[in-house]
Amino acid sequence: MEAYEMAIPYSLALVLLVPLVSAPVVYYLGKQMGKKVGWVATLPLIVTLLLIFSLAADVNGGGSYSESYGWAPEAGLTFGLLADGLSIWMLITINVLCLGICVYSTTYMEHRFEEEEHQTGVPTPNSAYASYYALYLLYAVGMLGTVLTTNLIQFYLFYELMLVPSWALINNYGYGERERIGMMYFMWTHVGAVILLAGILSSYWITGSFEIAALSGVVGSPIAGWVAFAILIGFFTKMAVFGIHIWLPYAHGEAPTPISALLSPAMIGIGAYAATRLVIIPMFPVFQTFSVVFSFWALLTLVYGGLMALAQDDIKRFLAYSSVSQMGYIFLGLASAAEYGVSGAIFHYITHGFGKCILFGVAGILMAQVGTRSIKEMGGLADRMPWTTVLCLLGFFTIAGVPPTMGFMSKFFIFSGVFNSALSGSPIQLVIAFVSIVMTVLTVGYSLWTVRRIFFGPLPENLKDVKEAPLTMILPLLVFALFSVFIGIYPRFVTDYLLPFFANVF
Amino acid sequence: MDPVAAMTPLEVIMKYPGPWLAWILPMLGALSMPLFERLGTKIRDYAAVAWGLTSVLSAASMIPWLFSGNYPGDIKLTTWINFPGGSPLEVGVLVDPLSIIVCNVVAFISFLILVYSTEYMHGDKHLTRFWFFFLFFIGSMLLLVLSDNLIQTMVGWEGVGICSYGLIGYYYRDAKERWLGGPPPHKMFPPSHAGMKAFVVTGIGDVFILGAIFVIFNYAGTLNYVDLIATAHQWLPQIAAVPGLLAVTAIFFLGGPIGKSAQFPLHEWLPEAMAGPTSVSALIHAATMVKAGVYLVARMSPIFYLGTWEMHLPEAQVFFIVIACVGAFTCFMAASQALVSVELKKILAYSTVSQIGYMMLALGVSGLSEGAYVAGLTAGVFHLMSHALFKAALFLGAGSVIHAIHTIYTFNMGGLKKYMPITFILMVIATASLAGIPPLSGFWSKDAVFIACLVANTPLSLTLLAVGAVSAAMTFFYSIRYIKLTFLGHESKHIEEMEQHGHHPHEAPQIMWVPIAILVGLVCVIGLLGLAGFFVPSLSPELFIEHLLHDMLHHMGIPLHTHHLEFPTILTAWGTSAAMLLIGGILGWLFYLSRRVDSWEFVSGNSTLKPVHTFLFNRWYMNSTYYKVFVYGLIDFAKAVFATLESKVFDKITAFVSDSTIAFGKVIHVFETKVYDPAINVGLVNFFVEGGKMLYNDFEFLLDLSLNRGVPATMTGLHNQVKKLQSGVLSYNIIYVVIVFLVLILGFGLTQMYGGI
Repeated sequence: MEAYEMAIPYSLALVLLVPLVSAPVVYYLGKQMGKKVGWVATLPLIVTLLLIFSLAADVNGGGSYSESYGWAPEAGLTFGLLADGLSIWMLITINVLCLGICVYSTTYMEHRFEEEEHQTGVPTPNSAYASYYALYLLYAVGMLGTVLTTNLIQFYLFYELMLVPSWALINNYGYGERERIGMMYFMWTHVGAVILLAGILSSYWITGSFEIAALSGVVGSPIAGWVAFAILIGFFTKMAVFGIHIWLPYAHGEAPTPISALLSPAMIGIGAYAATRLVIIPMFPVFQTFSVVFSFWALLTLVYGGLMALAQDDIKRFLAYSSVSQMGYIFLGLASAAEYGVSGAIFHYITHGFGKCILFGVAGILMAQVGTRSIKEMGGLADRMPWTTVLCLLGFFTIAGVPPTMGFMSKFFIFSGVFNSALSGSPIQLVIAFVSIVMTVLTVGYSLWTVRRIFFGPLPENLKDVKEAPLTMILPLLVFALFSVFIGIYPRFVTDYLLPFFANVF
Repeated sequence: MDPVAAMTPLEVIMKYPGPWLAWILPMLGALSMPLFERLGTKIRDYAAVAWGLTSVLSAASMIPWLFSGNYPGDIKLTTWINFPGGSPLEVGVLVDPLSIIVCNVVAFISFLILVYSTEYMHGDKHLTRFWFFFLFFIGSMLLLVLSDNLIQTMVGWEGVGICSYGLIGYYYRDAKERWLGGPPPHKMFPPSHAGMKAFVVTGIGDVFILGAIFVIFNYAGTLNYVDLIATAHQWLPQIAAVPGLLAVTAIFFLGGPIGKSAQFPLHEWLPEAMAGPTSVSALIHAATMVKAGVYLVARMSPIFYLGTWEMHLPEAQVFFIVIACVGAFTCFMAASQALVSVELKKILAYSTVSQIGYMMLALGVSGLSEGAYVAGLTAGVFHLMSHALFKAALFLGAGSVIHAIHTIYTFNMGGLKKYMPITFILMVIATASLAGIPPLSGFWSKDAVFIACLVANTPLSLTLLAVGAVSAAMTFFYSIRYIKLTFLGHESKHIEEMEQHGHHPHEAPQIMWVPIAILVGLVCVIGLLGLAGFFVPSLSPELFIEHLLHDMLHHMGIPLHTHHLEFPTILTAWGTSAAMLLIGGILGWLFYLSRRVDSWEFVSGNSTLKPVHTFLFNRWYMNSTYYKVFVYGLIDFAKAVFATLESKVFDKITAFVSDSTIAFGKVIHVFETKVYDPAINVGLVNFFVEGGKMLYNDFEFLLDLSLNRGVPATMTGLHNQVKKLQSGVLSYNIIYVVIVFLVLILGFGLTQMYGGI
């Protein structure tokens, strides 16, 4: 791993600092400007995106770029930031999604507040917009920081920073019993984080270092399995795998839709990234021993999530369960403990990020334009909203892995890895591999069924006046969809980063 | 192809434009449709036809290679995915006789149907969408056929699936007259449902084939067809070394073709696919897309042939045995359903399923014995081509009929011969070809299938031949039936009513019947060439294809053992065909042409035939069973799990966690107000009252600040405090909470450092 001298110094530090510093600025500007501040909030995200793009060339083909700052030198603790083949696409995905959804929010939140005004009769103060966008930026910092970080304490800090603003956003701008659900979300992921902390601390006990790179020292210790398991459980709670998934449908269902569109696509999958970074890479021999059990767990998750999605009528809860199912695929890729499988899992994070972001965006459009979340009450909307229909189809094709979207490529890698490890493993793994690939049809099934129920068939009388969504909502989603198709046709943009990285690791 | 590898992508395309432009241009055309719409709907329609023409010309530019025998083979363009430590996946086209034949059939028929559609779909307001899917379909289908590796094939494969989905569900508004099925009280299905069903059912096949592809990829390390065949002797035995794996792989692989080509048990989507515009049914669900499965089986068969006859891996033969049995069974089953169906398009759909069964049967028997390979492969490809021509013609003819009288049911037709003479004649010739009447193309190609079975000459192949022969009799019978119901006899009530309202059924306009006439003309030409070929072998289309495929396989390095075809074998096949035509023909004549026996009275009066009729009409109860188990069953199961495990167990856990936290906060609050406050604040107050008022006041103030307010505020979980969305204070609170958290975590980290745990 060598570090290159960059044209822009402190790029990675700036990636975090720019939005962090912008948060209070946006807040104060927001108090003056009101809803228009959403556009101001996009600026720092554009800056960070450009910074990340400027790094991409360095990272191509297995390279890496890192920065390190003194933090608590007495304790040997540095504030390190690292971009490499694994993290670069995580960063791009998070940043692009945050940027697009920020644009989307400008219209959506206006609608949300109008709805609130309608209910309460109290006019929305500017500060409501101000704090929304300030928290939004902090949330972005949390996610980006989690991905960039190189030591465990720093990791934990950002991991919590990711949680707190998102909790506040659900708590204040969500729907339904938002306080209770915000609490539930907070408790679950926080409990997960505490177990993670236990794992981190015990690893320190063994290795005497908080550096992620030092985690490999845990291998061989008698409690290595427990350490790995504790860390993983923390991440699995975030990913909402079967058994510890129950917070997710609530949180994603009741969060304000733009936040759902970040929670589900961008945030929960970071669990998979963290599991790769903290456990699979440094503690590979330990992780390998879990492979069979985890594969089965993943199969359970993907089937269970898909089945639950079939049973939903609320479109946001439907999408939330579909996320559980997709996390099952990512989990399956990780559990394969094979080069292509883990690459595929990260690739599928990107796929799911863009695909599910489109779909939550569509759900938000439906809520704003049609005024309902119940699939039963919709129908025949393709006539009224052709763009939304196309977006919804492309979003579903992306997560279902239908070419030419990128979902096909990511699932291709996941299953290559799964079969790769299954064919050299036990017959039970082979059975899991075959069953799990057959189960992918479940995704196609629930997707198209939902598309049909919402957009096709006769248009009900009461929906005759529904209008297509404004450009600010359509355009970001359209960009995501085109991106998905583009990567589907030319996957090397992603694979040339991911595959050499994992080729070096495994 | 080393010199090619050194060329830039553009140079490659310049050198071999045909195989690239054939599929790239229609795809670009599809994307251009919204732009052409701006210029006017007429221009858009012409543009669509023009794009189709570019595809035909590109495909046709490959035909000379067929005659010169010097085709370019695998042409690689660029690296698609780099696998570190493995051979990269390249974008490429494989140009050999198999792909050239199939892609020309596809491009040419597509073009004719494009022309037909300009009139058939005339006046529809959403034609941009129609052309988009239509052109994208042509592109995807040719990509599928021309690609040189399995992944690229799968991209085209899914692409045609998407277009099929979009075009079956073209009338997505589900207006009542577009529904399919019935007549009531039988169940009816709307177009949007049919489109979804098609995509999901074929999707089931797709995941199976993907499973097999991953197994192959894992062992072979490549997905390029040429490399797969060249290295088969290395990786195939490795798969076979795991007991059962090769058989499972073969069966999973066949899942894809079985789904796409609507073979048993994944055939149920095709009858419903007729919900799309008829020209779409003609193109996608008769002539081209459903042949993709046949093509892919043919494409992969050399590998399994090598496995069976060169490496002597018994499991490799499973590939052939399964597809032969599936083909023969489907052929019989679908033909039996066509006997009783009352929707014209559905009869043709069942017939398509049945005819594809013949192709699969031919490909299957090709591997049953060593000498039958070329014969079987030839029969499969020949029947694919000939069926594509006559079935497209039949569907287009049916489209003209439906266009004229606006009904899908045969009992609403009748007597159309005098209104639509041209359509009638064309339909009769195409139907004769379908039924296998000599000397039309259908006779020769079906005959080739029978010959392949005879050449294989194993007990299984002869049994399957018997099944195929019975199906041939049924084919002739249902052919007579639908021709009679549609064109002959008296006009139905429906037509009489139409006439009363002043709507006379009219002959199809020229732009619609000319494409049909061209197709029928080709059917006749191929048929006559077949006849001529009997005397001058070089003219025989069958021998021409056989020669090409033989050469192709020879180039691939496949050792072939072909025997000279014995005349008795040919005679036996002819005899079988003739006998079956006689049986089917006599029955058809009795029931329909001479009207000696009224078919419905005969069936309903017979206690054996009545249940058989019901059984056949209900599609062997397969469709309803599938719905019961896989659709409603699955949804009910999901709902049951949601109502029990999810809502009763997991939900309760989480409710318990969050509620108990809140309850804990409340307990603290109660403790604080009921116990703590009275005991300390009041009790202590009393205790200290005498001690000194000043001290007490300070203390009380301190306590109140820290405990009475601080503790409950924190413990009740922050959320009670921050309820009001619009309060400006709230936003401060959040920022404050975040900062406190950051400080806490930072502080925690640092103390850990210094304390060293």
